[in-house]
Amino acid sequence: MTTAKGKSASREEVLHQRDLEWQRGWGQFLLSVVIVLVVVWSWNGSEIELYRLAESGGRIAEFLARMMPPDLSVLPVVIESSAETLRIAILGTVGCIVLSIVLGMLAATNLSPSWIHVPVKAVLAVIRGIPLILVAMLMVGAVGLGALPGILAIPFHATGMLAKFYAEAIESVDPAPMEALESVGATFLQKLRFGAWPQIAPDILRDTLFRFEMNLRESLILGVVGAGGIGFYIQMYVRAFQYEKVATLTIVVIAFVVLIELANNAIRRLLR
Amino acid sequence: MAADVIALHDLVFRHPGNHHPTLAIPELRIGAGQRVALIGTSGAGKSTLLRLLDGRLRGWSGSCAVLGRPLDPDSPPPRLWRRSVGFVFQEFALVERETVRQNVLNGRLGHADALWSLTGRFGAPDHAAADRAIQDVGLDEFAKRRVDRLSGGQRQRVAIARCLAQEPRIVLADEPISSLDPVTAHTVLDLLRNSAVDRRATLVISSHQPQLVAGYVDRFIALDRGRIVFDGPPNAIDETQLSGIYGETA
Repeated sequence: MTTAKGKSASREEVLHQRDLEWQRGWGQFLLSVVIVLVVVWSWNGSEIELYRLAESGGRIAEFLARMMPPDLSVLPVVIESSAETLRIAILGTVGCIVLSIVLGMLAATNLSPSWIHVPVKAVLAVIRGIPLILVAMLMVGAVGLGALPGILAIPFHATGMLAKFYAEAIESVDPAPMEALESVGATFLQKLRFGAWPQIAPDILRDTLFRFEMNLRESLILGVVGAGGIGFYIQMYVRAFQYEKVATLTIVVIAFVVLIELANNAIRRLLR
Repeated sequence: MAADVIALHDLVFRHPGNHHPTLAIPELRIGAGQRVALIGTSGAGKSTLLRLLDGRLRGWSGSCAVLGRPLDPDSPPPRLWRRSVGFVFQEFALVERETVRQNVLNGRLGHADALWSLTGRFGAPDHAAADRAIQDVGLDEFAKRRVDRLSGGQRQRVAIARCLAQEPRIVLADEPISSLDPVTAHTVLDLLRNSAVDRRATLVISSHQPQLVAGYVDRFIALDRGRIVFDGPPNAIDETQLSGIYGETA
């Protein structure tokens, strides 16, 4: 009797399993159809003509030839504008760190009550969704051309991401060592300094460096909308068809990014 | 007879939502310098009692005095009191990314200047106490090693060293040998007993391995569902009583 029941149950299980697999198969097929339709819609709507791309091979070669040789006479301008870009990234990151410490603590579920951390997390998500270039344009409109709108735009945009990372680091703190330090007679600040900080410091430093690297890359193009830095000169020389100068600027930008990447990697290795 | 360092009277504690009390102790006194083992099954109330004695339990009723200070069921005890009661945690509760030495120095936070210590600097007495504690637990050669690179037994010794660096008058150890192999367990128990004797501290250990701890204490207090069901020297408890406390597993 028991065996019969067992067989019956296992037969039902097999049928149920087949049913699930069939449903899953149909689901995957429908998803594939939707993806294909979306790609076809994007292609048709964009009026892509492959023959134009094929015909422009010569023009691309001519364009690249006009960039050679790079005009090194712009080096003083490049150095000054690169320094301005670096200053925008540094000051923007400092502002971003200050805001992120406060908002990260408010967004951490183990530090703030739900009536604080839920709305703060929602605000951070909204901030993350606003493109930097849009913020920079608004800041240029508000405070005028130069480095200042860039310095203001970066913290506004980057805090949405960095504060989220800080909140996640704070949430990952193991409470056991904190309790142990409370037991030995540590004050609240001592618990933060000796219990929480050693646990989160590598994550905080790694996330901050990562954000600085992103801020630097993004500040390179802020000048395109008039918010200071090397981007301003790139768009100026492009509009004036001075491609040899653009080439010099491009080489410096690439070198800049590679150097920062190398420095960041070295620091991250030290933090492990 | 030695003065009581722990005195409980009509103590009752219930976890929120529980009708049955987690602790219900009409009277309990532990004298200075005694070495006591709290025994009983998981859930008997051993860890809860230790948390109470460490001043970290809230919402109990009755009276509880430790080191002559009546504890308040609604607020934590002051810093000066907390540094006199050492606690060895079951899962070590160490800062994993820090070195052995820093973890042991953390045991001095109750003694160190509250603001100056935030710079990471400790005074000479703090360093001396930490050095002695590290030496006592035999971890001199590992002092600069990160805790997350140590074995379970070594971590437990770091946790004991942190507690000893406090120079506590009472050492409370919550299941200090539950995750250790028998050889390491004896080493740790030996260490706890000798350190307590050297420092003239009262020792209260919780364990669900009475046979293992019997040789290291001079008093057994057996708990069953929050109540004391045996209180006496380890050699006075017999197999029948142990079976009553532990069931078939004794």
